[in-house]
Amino acid sequence: MRQEQSKEKILIVDDSEMNRSILADMLADEFGVTEAEDGEAALAILAERGSEFSLVLLDIVMPKKDGFEVLGEMNRTRLIEDLPVIMVSAETAPAQIERAYELGATDFIMRPFDASIVHRRVLNTIFLYTKQRKLIDIIESQINEKEQNSSMMVDILSHIVEFRNGESGLHILHVRTITDFLLRKLVRKTDRYPVSEGDIPIIAMASALHDIGKIGIDDKILNKPGKLTDEEYAVMKTHSMIGAKMLDGLYAHKDNPLVKYAYEICRWHHERWDGRGYPDGLKGDEIPISAQIVSLADVYDALTSERVYKPPFSPETAKEMILTGKCGTFNPLLLECLSDEFDNIREALSQNVSENAVRREIRNYADAALYSKGVRASDRTLRLLDYERMKYNFFADLTEEIQFEYNVSENILKLSARGAKKFGVPQEIVDPANEPRFKTQLGENWFGNLSKYLSEMTPAAPEFRHECELRVGGELRWYDVIMRVTWTDDASPTIESVIGKLVDIHDTHIAFDELREKSIRDPLTGLLNREGAGEDLAEKLSKFPEHKYAVAVFDIDSFKSANDVYGHLFGDKVLREVSERLIHSTRVHDLCARIGGDEFLIVFEYDTDIHPIIARVFKSLCGKVDAFDLTVSMGVVEMTEKEQEFEELFRKADVALYVSKNAGKAAYRFYESSMEE
Amino acid sequence: MTIRECYSMLNGDYDDVIGRLRSERLVQKFLLKFLADGSYELLFRSLGEGNAQEAFRAAHTIKGMCQNLSFTALERSASALTETLRGGELAGYEPHLSAVKEDYERTVAAIKAYAENPES
Repeated sequence: MRQEQSKEKILIVDDSEMNRSILADMLADEFGVTEAEDGEAALAILAERGSEFSLVLLDIVMPKKDGFEVLGEMNRTRLIEDLPVIMVSAETAPAQIERAYELGATDFIMRPFDASIVHRRVLNTIFLYTKQRKLIDIIESQINEKEQNSSMMVDILSHIVEFRNGESGLHILHVRTITDFLLRKLVRKTDRYPVSEGDIPIIAMASALHDIGKIGIDDKILNKPGKLTDEEYAVMKTHSMIGAKMLDGLYAHKDNPLVKYAYEICRWHHERWDGRGYPDGLKGDEIPISAQIVSLADVYDALTSERVYKPPFSPETAKEMILTGKCGTFNPLLLECLSDEFDNIREALSQNVSENAVRREIRNYADAALYSKGVRASDRTLRLLDYERMKYNFFADLTEEIQFEYNVSENILKLSARGAKKFGVPQEIVDPANEPRFKTQLGENWFGNLSKYLSEMTPAAPEFRHECELRVGGELRWYDVIMRVTWTDDASPTIESVIGKLVDIHDTHIAFDELREKSIRDPLTGLLNREGAGEDLAEKLSKFPEHKYAVAVFDIDSFKSANDVYGHLFGDKVLREVSERLIHSTRVHDLCARIGGDEFLIVFEYDTDIHPIIARVFKSLCGKVDAFDLTVSMGVVEMTEKEQEFEELFRKADVALYVSKNAGKAAYRFYESSMEE
Repeated sequence: MTIRECYSMLNGDYDDVIGRLRSERLVQKFLLKFLADGSYELLFRSLGEGNAQEAFRAAHTIKGMCQNLSFTALERSASALTETLRGGELAGYEPHLSAVKEDYERTVAAIKAYAENPES
């Protein structure tokens, strides 16, 4: 029964019971099928439980609401973004098909259809969407976990500092709360500072790290019960710079906003608005706003807390002391914010007195790491590093990605254990570009172009990615290669190393290619369709702009009457015959497309004279198909340097085609501007 | 009577339908369903009421079913009728309608003959 439940669900919408039933029979083995007999019924089902379905098969002509109205409604509710729709219809008019695609249909299956094709297309579409949805889920949950994890790491770190300081543990929490309130008020008051709503939680989190530099201060000074001597005070003051340097050492994360704000806060939370603070003596808004706010929060909480040398002041007194300048000098705007938010802050801090469960848990972690005072800072750092590494490996395992590191100066490539095993190469490879086994397994596609890529990198844009095929167990699979370059930290930076990962994207890549191939091909003749032709031409033009091109458009004379007299099946036969003749009479680098009912397009690439080529192709297209005397009418335009827009060329060729039609069919004409009248 | 014989009687393309649906059981099932479909009656009723929209839809449905079942002859006449009715005007459709009538009756007669005495 479990399998029954995990079947993907499909909604079939068609007013003909027989049509629904044929589709249902084809699909019921593998999918859960629900049927709706018109657009209105379909919309009712979708409104109620649209998210259950993985795919909709939709007819166009139906009573009450037709297929286009269903698509329109799905656009309005944005359901179309998550739920793929395949149109199944007897409509063959290009305008109708075009409209369906414009309204967001994923695919279009014409009646009469072939069971295996329907099956295959349904599978492909569902597969592609499911894959995409899963990837989005994975990424979201990773981001969430990562955020939770960094928040916890910050709490652990700051608690270590507090522990060593002999502080209550609440100080950090208070500073964070006050910072949050002041910042929110500030961004509503002014846009003077480049702080967005999204930065607020990051700055608040970073505020917890303001005193991490105290790890580097001698225990004896840090925990001295009495007043500090001038020398001791001078040592104590170095904690802001020590903290900044610790963060500066996190080289790989230096663009991380959390690290960036934490750096500002550590280094400058003892600066003063009047310029008399330390370590740099910055003045006014030279001090980053993050540090200004944390500084104010730090002072407020120190005043309202008990210290060995003073009793706690009441919140009102603390506020007065700050506003009147008795304790530090601050940005007048921030003083306004403090006055405005005072009630909220007092309220929030009084509720913070008891620690919540999460915080207790964190305290336990930190206490475990610090269970004896004798543990040295370096040991703690190693523990934390270990924890980070474990965390990283865990995430990497989840996504089955392969990490690597390439040291440029030593010319050594290191692969993660999983990667080495997967590709059957050693974990460490010296001179990878020339190592024979590595080269045949991975080298040509991945490393062959590395030096070219590297020469294009700059410190401002250190990341690049490309897709390539790599050999895994005798089979070529598509991989996404994502790399990041690190640079030396001197005046003229050079590339130090490359880190990155390889992600297997083979299945998605192949499914995407197949779908794309289908979307640009006409299913009846296998020629390109109009969209495909437009894209191919644009590609040709950008690759070989110096070549000569001509665009020809033709249609089959009296095709409608051939259809009427001999039937649609014969009509299809004629269309296939024309495409055969077309393929045989043109050359490989010419481009042939069926762009509408009986309308075809050719783009010729030629050297000297297009006229004999056109004459020859035209002649070979005409000739009997069974009893039908097949002739075509054709319009041709030569491409000039000025005129390279596909739509315009197409229009001109069409004008010429129209002229030859009017002149009695079975002929071709070259476009002249006089035809426009 | 075999399904193939039934198809040749109603001027359909048996090879085509079996190629697409892949199973004789399915073809048989839908063949019989065709008899139960009300679109043909709806077509005449709508024309009688002067409802061009509904008539177009009914003709379109018949055409779609015929495509599914490879009823070549009826599909051709239903298709011609559909195109005449598409514009929403009830003019000049009569010759197409009588062609549909003729093909439909032959089709139904063939299916009934098969239903009475099916063999495989």
